[in-house]
Amino acid sequence: MKIVVCIKQVPATSDAKIDPETKRIVREGIKAVTNPFDAYALEEAVRIKERLGAEVIALTMGPPRADMVLREAIAVGADRGILLSDRAFGGSDTWATSYALSKAVERIGGVDLVLCGKQAIDGDTAQVGPGIAAQLGWAQATYVMAMPQVDEGSFTAKRMHEDGWDLCRIAFPAVVTVVKDLNQPRIPTLKGRLAAQKVEIPTWTAADVGADLSKIGLDGSPTRVVKTEPPPARNKETLRIEGSAADCAAALVRELRQKSLV
Amino acid sequence: MRHHIENRIYHVEILPPKQETEKLEADLEAFAVKFNRVMASGYCACITDNAMGNLAFQGSEMIEELSLVPGDDLVMIHLNTFHTKENLDGILDSCARLGIRNLLVISGDGSDRLPRLSPSDVGAQGVEAVTSVELLRYIERAHPGFFNLGVAFNPYEPEEHEAQKMERKMAAGARFIITQPVIGLHPMVEKLLAKYPQVPVIVEAWMSKKLDLLSEAVGYEIPEGTPYDPIENLKSLHAIYPKCGVYLSLLGFKTQYDLVKDCWK
Repeated sequence: MKIVVCIKQVPATSDAKIDPETKRIVREGIKAVTNPFDAYALEEAVRIKERLGAEVIALTMGPPRADMVLREAIAVGADRGILLSDRAFGGSDTWATSYALSKAVERIGGVDLVLCGKQAIDGDTAQVGPGIAAQLGWAQATYVMAMPQVDEGSFTAKRMHEDGWDLCRIAFPAVVTVVKDLNQPRIPTLKGRLAAQKVEIPTWTAADVGADLSKIGLDGSPTRVVKTEPPPARNKETLRIEGSAADCAAALVRELRQKSLV
Repeated sequence: MRHHIENRIYHVEILPPKQETEKLEADLEAFAVKFNRVMASGYCACITDNAMGNLAFQGSEMIEELSLVPGDDLVMIHLNTFHTKENLDGILDSCARLGIRNLLVISGDGSDRLPRLSPSDVGAQGVEAVTSVELLRYIERAHPGFFNLGVAFNPYEPEEHEAQKMERKMAAGARFIITQPVIGLHPMVEKLLAKYPQVPVIVEAWMSKKLDLLSEAVGYEIPEGTPYDPIENLKSLHAIYPKCGVYLSLLGFKTQYDLVKDCWK
């Protein structure tokens, strides 16, 4: 079995800023981390590998320094990493990004399963996973909270939705996007991190994956961000409750009830 | 631990590199330099466990991977409840291999990325969550008599609550106590010493000038700009608690390290 895990390098939440001119996220000089949802996708891939045997390939698209997230993936059990990096990819929206990633999946070849986090915490679109499935013409399962059965030809996916969950059986090849309920990602050991630092990460360009230049970058993106605004500031209200512990607890419950919070 | 106090062996906190570091090699080098310096001084190196919920490398794996040599009885590993069972057993085995017997067992600070031991992991019954008490019992059962287990004492918690917790910790196998940072005389520490005269107590001296972090540690607001001289506080702790050891948290290795040896006379 061959599993590709798509991983995105995102700005650390506390540092995220948007360029007012380009409307794009400022990435230069900002601390970058692995998109938290992608860690759950990676953990599931490694667990499948440990259970059934599989090759796990971490794939990311981004600037050269995005190789860091691939090394982190290798440190926790991915077998190799591939960096998709080319100026031609710059400005790609979710559709163009899905296209580029799907071309990389095709170039890898023989892939049974693509796992993605449900969304990236910078764009919050949740479109790239489904976009990859659409580009490849593969089945997809989104918001997956459990994969109770995986075998050579198919798997079951428990999909979370607002009213509960449903259980689907899906044939490979397929794309799955995952939520945090899926597992508890392991933490890399120092030994794993040091070994991953020595691994060579190949960089693939648009030409390497045979991407049509009219389908990537700004020109290949059907959407444009025309305006961005920060969310309105939240009104914080502080209430200090004094008295004995029992009185304070009772007052707190009363306040929460009045606000319909309990 | 008693001989640490009798021989004026400081407990020097060292933070391992964070998992998210972008300069791992340099951070590893800095850790090794600090560790070796503490060993050369004959002090005890105390290595934190994901302090403040920040993901970091484990103390025992740092020592193993960097081929550091722990001095005899001169290393203490912090161990909290935010691990998987497999990870916990791995740390205990690794400490046993390295001959590290001193463990500071704490509940610890969690985060989204950290797993937490479940009661069934440590064979605890009748509790909803694993605290340092259940962890102490587990370590004693898994490695009977091997580890010298210490626990934390927080003088800023409600007195009765903290006293009851300490009784449970002692019953679970604690053999020494390290306090939260103490500034000058604290009546709760006085009471602790009176209640457990046979138990070695180590008071924590806050060596940083970062008062916002100290506020977090002690649980009450210390206004910025409050005059605070870590070295003077260290001297006063020695004077007030002559029978206690001292744990140096956030010690400045460049600016303070050479000054502290003259403080314990």
